[in-house]
Amino acid sequence: MSIEISNVTKRFGDFVALDDVSVSLPTGQLTALLGPSGGGKSTLLRIVAGLEKADTGRVTIEGVDATRMSPQKRNVGFVFQHYAVFKHMSVAKNVAFGLEIRRKNKDEVRARVDELLKLVHLTQFADRLPSQLSGGQRQRMALARALAVQPKVLLLDEPFGALDAKVRKELREWLRRLHDEVPVTTVFVTHDQEEAMEVADEIVVINDGRIEQVGRPDQLYDRPANDFVMGFLGDVTQLGEVRLRPHDIEIALTPDLAGSVPGDVLRLTRIGFEVRLVVGTEDGREVSVVTTRAHARSLELDAGDRVWITPSSGASTVPAMKSLLAG
Amino acid sequence: MVELSTPAKWALRLVAVAYVFFLVGWPVINLAQRTFADGWTAFVQTFQDPDVTHALLVTVEVSLWAVAINTVFGVGMALLLVRYEFPGKRLLSALIDLPMSVSPVVIGLALLLVYNGRDGWFGPWLESRGITVIFSSPGMVMATCFVALPLVVREVVPVLEEVGDDQEQAARSLGGNAVQVLRRITLPSIKWAVVYGVVLSLARSLGEFGALKIVSGNLTGRTQTAPLVVEQKYTNFSPDEAYALSFVLVLISVLCIVVVSALRPKESSE
Repeated sequence: MSIEISNVTKRFGDFVALDDVSVSLPTGQLTALLGPSGGGKSTLLRIVAGLEKADTGRVTIEGVDATRMSPQKRNVGFVFQHYAVFKHMSVAKNVAFGLEIRRKNKDEVRARVDELLKLVHLTQFADRLPSQLSGGQRQRMALARALAVQPKVLLLDEPFGALDAKVRKELREWLRRLHDEVPVTTVFVTHDQEEAMEVADEIVVINDGRIEQVGRPDQLYDRPANDFVMGFLGDVTQLGEVRLRPHDIEIALTPDLAGSVPGDVLRLTRIGFEVRLVVGTEDGREVSVVTTRAHARSLELDAGDRVWITPSSGASTVPAMKSLLAG
Repeated sequence: MVELSTPAKWALRLVAVAYVFFLVGWPVINLAQRTFADGWTAFVQTFQDPDVTHALLVTVEVSLWAVAINTVFGVGMALLLVRYEFPGKRLLSALIDLPMSVSPVVIGLALLLVYNGRDGWFGPWLESRGITVIFSSPGMVMATCFVALPLVVREVVPVLEEVGDDQEQAARSLGGNAVQVLRRITLPSIKWAVVYGVVLSLARSLGEFGALKIVSGNLTGRTQTAPLVVEQKYTNFSPDEAYALSFVLVLISVLCIVVVSALRPKESSE
């Protein structure tokens, strides 16, 4: 196991950012720390990097106890949300920084910088200043800079958070490919579940300073450990006494399926290829249902129609504990 | 931005220009006129007086020392105030601003109380080890440092806050130790703030009068500085020499400002 975090607690004043967290992040994989803002995921990453000190607990990187090690000794590459580019240095100088600090000889540095700039597709920008680059290019430069020192671990703190949607999507696909080419153990923080599901081999869901669940994206989506994980990884609705995903509800015009519940279509919205419905059941609840456009068309669904809805077989469900208490 | 009608704009400009002209421009122009009223004779004569040239040298020497010391401590203090949390931080910040609000004469008196060789709090101890502070260069440098203390700090603090510590953290995670991070990342990013602070300190130090008058003892040909000579000449009924020397002091300050604006990179290329 590459990064071992055991019993880490961190407080900022009265606020408990991390509450006795233990997790191990596997070698050579791309792991996402996923959770809502203020949940403690960035703090955990910064503790691994040594930029923040844990109040209690231990951090081990590749078998070496790093708990009290300063950041410059940890051999960790860190990429910041707002790039943290060295503004007064050219792109090539930025990438060369870690190597020059290590007093590598000039030819070696130049060769390595060229290689990295090629890897991040910034070769023609080598002599520019970071202010002349776009956000996406700056973040790629920051990645090259972090990779230059051949870190044991690459840590990314909301790396695409400050970019617009299109560049975000491009960059995360690119990060996935980069990781396949250069398989350094990578941990990235995100609050975007789609980003985590798309890019990561493994996801650690963190909320309120605690770890809710650790697993592969499919596992988390199909077998969420609790209500929070289920809700955070996708839309959730309640049908009868269970909570499930809106696309895991079958919709029909007749009560053919066992356990089907009658209801009226209250609203109907078409978004691209999917159709989102709100169905009012007889117990007064509103149930969200998502179906395909083709299916909705074949049933000729419209607002006001009477329908029967059923959880589809194999749907992932959790008991509706919270809403019962709340309701 | 508030949109103004054209007449209002011109009226405002006129008020601003007139204000600066009557307060600063006209007196300085008059000073120059007065200096060169009889051509170069009075001017040349003034600078043939060995007391005047010595005073200028003393001023430059004391100012350079004070600026050098203030630059090192100013940057250090600014880093301390912005990057670290410690008890008493607000008190330190307030103390740094103190010289701005206290009259330099008072500063001079306070230094005299602590460091004079006869009955000062610390002076006799230093004097017994051969270090004379009052009526000599160390005291003069100290007094000048004191009055110019906030200038570098207050220039650098807002820039350090604006730059943030992201770059420093990145440099540390890339293996930089404290000295490397300071030299390669922090100092280059606050470079211009330091330059402005240095120029302001230099201008302030060259012109210091009140504190130096007390601490230096105003000994002609020994510890007398240029502004002290100006006063002496003026009260001793040699106003021509006072004007000539004043003109040179103004000239040095203007040169400082011109050099900095010439060196300063254009905002757009930042």
